[in-house]
Amino acid sequence: MFLPSKASKLRIKEAENARRNRQEIVKALADGQITRRDLFKWGLFTTGGLLLWKHGLNPFVRSAYASVPTGFPRSPLFGVQAFTQPMPRFDVLPRNAIATLNPAPTAQANQTQQVLNPALEGVTPGDTGPIEGRPPGPIWAHQEFTRFPPVIAVPVSTEGAKVNTVYDPGVPSSLNSGINAATPFPPRFHPNLPDQGPLALWTFNGTLPPKLLVGRYGEGIIFRHSNKLPFDIRQNGGFGIHTLSTHEHNGHHGAENDGFTGAFFYPGQFYDYHYPIVLAGWRSINTGATDARAGSPNGSGGITKVPGDWKETMSTHWFHDHMFSFTAQNVYKGDAGMFNIYSALDRGNEAINDGVNLRLPSGTAKDFGNLDYDVNLMLADKAWDANGQLHFDIFDTESGFVADVMTVNLVYRPFFEVERRKYRFRILNGAVSRFFKISLSDASPMIQIANDGNLLPSPVVITQTDELGIAERYDIVIDFSRYSIGQTVSMVNLLQHEDGKLPSSTLSLSQALSGSSSDPCVGKFLEFRIVRDPAQPDVSQVPATLIPNPDLSAIPVARTRTFKFGDGANQTTNDPVTSFRGPWGIGTDGGDKLDADFGRISAAPRFGTREIWNLVNDGGGWDHPVHIHFEEGQILNRGEGNVPATERGRKDVYRLRPSGSVTITMQFRDFGGMFMEHCHNTLHEDNAMLLRWEIDDGGSPFLRPLPTPIPTPQGVRFQAPTQLNNI
Amino acid sequence: MRGGYRESITAALLASAMISLHTGPAFAANRWGADYFPNVPLTTQDGATVRLYDDLLKGRSVAINVMYTSCKDECPLETARLAQLQRLLGERMGKDIFFYSITIDPKRDTPKVLKAYAEKYGVGPGWLFLTGNEEDIKLATKKLGLSRVRDSASKDGHSASLMVGNEPAGLWMRNSAVDNPQFLATTIANFLGWKNEAPRKSYAEARPLVLDKGEYFFQSQCSVCHSIGQGDKMGPDLAGVTARRDRAWLARYIMMPDKLLAEGDPIAIALFEKYQYARMPNLRLSSDEVAAVLSYVEGRGDARGR
Repeated sequence: MFLPSKASKLRIKEAENARRNRQEIVKALADGQITRRDLFKWGLFTTGGLLLWKHGLNPFVRSAYASVPTGFPRSPLFGVQAFTQPMPRFDVLPRNAIATLNPAPTAQANQTQQVLNPALEGVTPGDTGPIEGRPPGPIWAHQEFTRFPPVIAVPVSTEGAKVNTVYDPGVPSSLNSGINAATPFPPRFHPNLPDQGPLALWTFNGTLPPKLLVGRYGEGIIFRHSNKLPFDIRQNGGFGIHTLSTHEHNGHHGAENDGFTGAFFYPGQFYDYHYPIVLAGWRSINTGATDARAGSPNGSGGITKVPGDWKETMSTHWFHDHMFSFTAQNVYKGDAGMFNIYSALDRGNEAINDGVNLRLPSGTAKDFGNLDYDVNLMLADKAWDANGQLHFDIFDTESGFVADVMTVNLVYRPFFEVERRKYRFRILNGAVSRFFKISLSDASPMIQIANDGNLLPSPVVITQTDELGIAERYDIVIDFSRYSIGQTVSMVNLLQHEDGKLPSSTLSLSQALSGSSSDPCVGKFLEFRIVRDPAQPDVSQVPATLIPNPDLSAIPVARTRTFKFGDGANQTTNDPVTSFRGPWGIGTDGGDKLDADFGRISAAPRFGTREIWNLVNDGGGWDHPVHIHFEEGQILNRGEGNVPATERGRKDVYRLRPSGSVTITMQFRDFGGMFMEHCHNTLHEDNAMLLRWEIDDGGSPFLRPLPTPIPTPQGVRFQAPTQLNNI
Repeated sequence: MRGGYRESITAALLASAMISLHTGPAFAANRWGADYFPNVPLTTQDGATVRLYDDLLKGRSVAINVMYTSCKDECPLETARLAQLQRLLGERMGKDIFFYSITIDPKRDTPKVLKAYAEKYGVGPGWLFLTGNEEDIKLATKKLGLSRVRDSASKDGHSASLMVGNEPAGLWMRNSAVDNPQFLATTIANFLGWKNEAPRKSYAEARPLVLDKGEYFFQSQCSVCHSIGQGDKMGPDLAGVTARRDRAWLARYIMMPDKLLAEGDPIAIALFEKYQYARMPNLRLSSDEVAAVLSYVEGRGDARGR
């Protein structure tokens, strides 16, 4: 399915030309300049009248030439070899005092007017619009803004690629494979690959490496996201759109901060996302904040207790664009980062021994959030054109998009220098449609400590990970003390794709290492170089008990719902980041167990209840990583057998597996005064519809659909969520 | 080695400066223009031959879906919704935007069949139904991102996508052809950068609705084709329908109209014939949803009667 990596220049050139050739032939045929007979004569037509597969002339067939899954020839590597550049650590976003924000954040969206740039669509010179793109009014006001006042300001932008002159890896150069952070960091996937142009790559702050947001419980953040993309919608380098909506993946925040797909904002505007960082259950569990396990690092070795259920502590999130109909393109274009959340249990300090801290590999210098031995890894496959510029086929999105170049932290197959000690890796699948399955090249053990960023009840020793679906996060501990200085060991991807529907096969380690796979993203993608003994002894631990699951057994199940994810006529996906096939909505609150039709949203779960949801893959040979916003679930049942030990924690993405099913249980609480469930999918019946339910609804059969926000540069307007006027 | 890396950075900076010199801006050309789209011939419902690129796409803003007239599943709803969208877009149709519905059953869907179908749904200027050579249609729909591998196995699996494009700008967006037409109209207006001449409600005017479940389903699913007491639309006026028809039959018909028609149910056939062979789509409502819709329709009928 992929052009072999050793393909001659001639073949690559031929592949480059194939698409164009094909178009010329079709055009010439259509225009009557050539006849079918000519094509027969040239051997390019089958007797059935189809253009031959060969030379990429037939767009229906993924031929050996031009039809790599990207719809383009193999991405040229300009002679670059794997493992010849260091892997940059994430770039830590500055954390400022809230008072530094100008204008100051407001509970309701700031409607101060500014003169609009006439290059924006729908704007005539002299028009004005609000400086903040968040929908106005109380429904979209930050919930619990006075109860959880923001303390930290994190100003970010999304903008076109540029050189990074303020790179902060959070660690010294020795722990960043020798990279001198003071040296300007160019926007390129390898020192010997071309710079990405400002229209090809759009990232947070416009730079590489990808950004890391650091937070801790009880310390609210205003994530002020400024849109600095081009005003002219056409300036998109062939894919992506300049309007944004940022989803804090697995955030337990009010819906106004969730990155609702239809609440997007324009270039020249900002959107204040308020992340209070609270423990789920804060309204009903440990409300007096008396349990030290429900706590946050206080900055001086102690614990600040917070309300909520300590068993709901979360550790590794990510944030990404969630723009209506353009999520995949914008995320692929670079608009994604990670978010480490620190707590009394998982405080990012391996030395503090207070009976609560789990002392996972991290470091000791700072009270919390030491990144020395706690490393974020973002895996993503990319493709680029003959000029080395990022490319995406905007029409080939029905079956999912698989590219041919493997990147880690947005650089091409790097190496990473490690000391002889334990490391924690927070691994994110940031691809569009590709799944990964990771092993070490010597098949030696790793310890999985978290799934979807939540510490498991118990660590699990593995020699290869489960499949890592899109948007899933696995936290893995690797102990490099077993190696000698000078040795290397690599992370290997065992999962082969032929298209974006699902992985085609899992290879053995030796097969994956042999280089025989047709998929260029199979094999080694990150090389660890063991360079020295640690200066300080490794005092980190991986305790036998991490975070037990919340016990839901005493909470009655209010309802059971079944959601089928199928490949029916009314179902497709526009959001491969949460790449389920077919929209999902909230089934009706009918009494019977309902096979929900995803063509509609109806009722929402009631506040303060627990439900059991059956997520069923309705066949079609697809796999669907299903993401549910806001509330985490526990997997009760995997249909075909036991729930693997690595999935026995709390999750927010559920891989259904082909023809598989997953039964989960969830609670609905905390921000119930107004809560939204929504579909990410274009093909959803009422795509932009939001629902809310009231705490005091008392079981009434009435729905309360919110007016749908309709952002325009001049301001957000609203329309009724259903068609109440007859046309 | 570390020193080596630094050196290579410098060398690469120089190299990249040269690369950017000879590659120029990466965005200059529209990737999704004449080089991308095939210029295959297609035939309109009026029998005219048109070229996909030169006549239909070039220089235009468009909304394109695939359908077939004998579809028992989603297509009738798609077409009905697009007809609403067409009315919402009003004067802009055929001027600022063009609709194309391409059949994936060209053998059956001749221009004549398409014309009758278009008339049934009240298709106006600026909206073409297109048929043609099967291979050309496959190529066109593939390139437009509207074909699926499984289409050959089952037409019912066809994509219900509506591709909205601004060809000269190279901007394309996937939408649902069965989405709320008002929402689609707004999305399209925004995407194409039309000045919003019909202002939407401000926050102060827009309040959450309180709907009962039956009303919600009626408004979101049924009102495309039915009114209660305002006359026939695509389908019959439903005022008094609960008195006119047996309740159990109604519930069954709403749940599986395709099945009743296939079984030869006389009322289903009579309705099919009376309403110009427009098929009532199977909306996959559950029994309690059907009950809610029926009691809403009944209540509205009563309210009008009083």
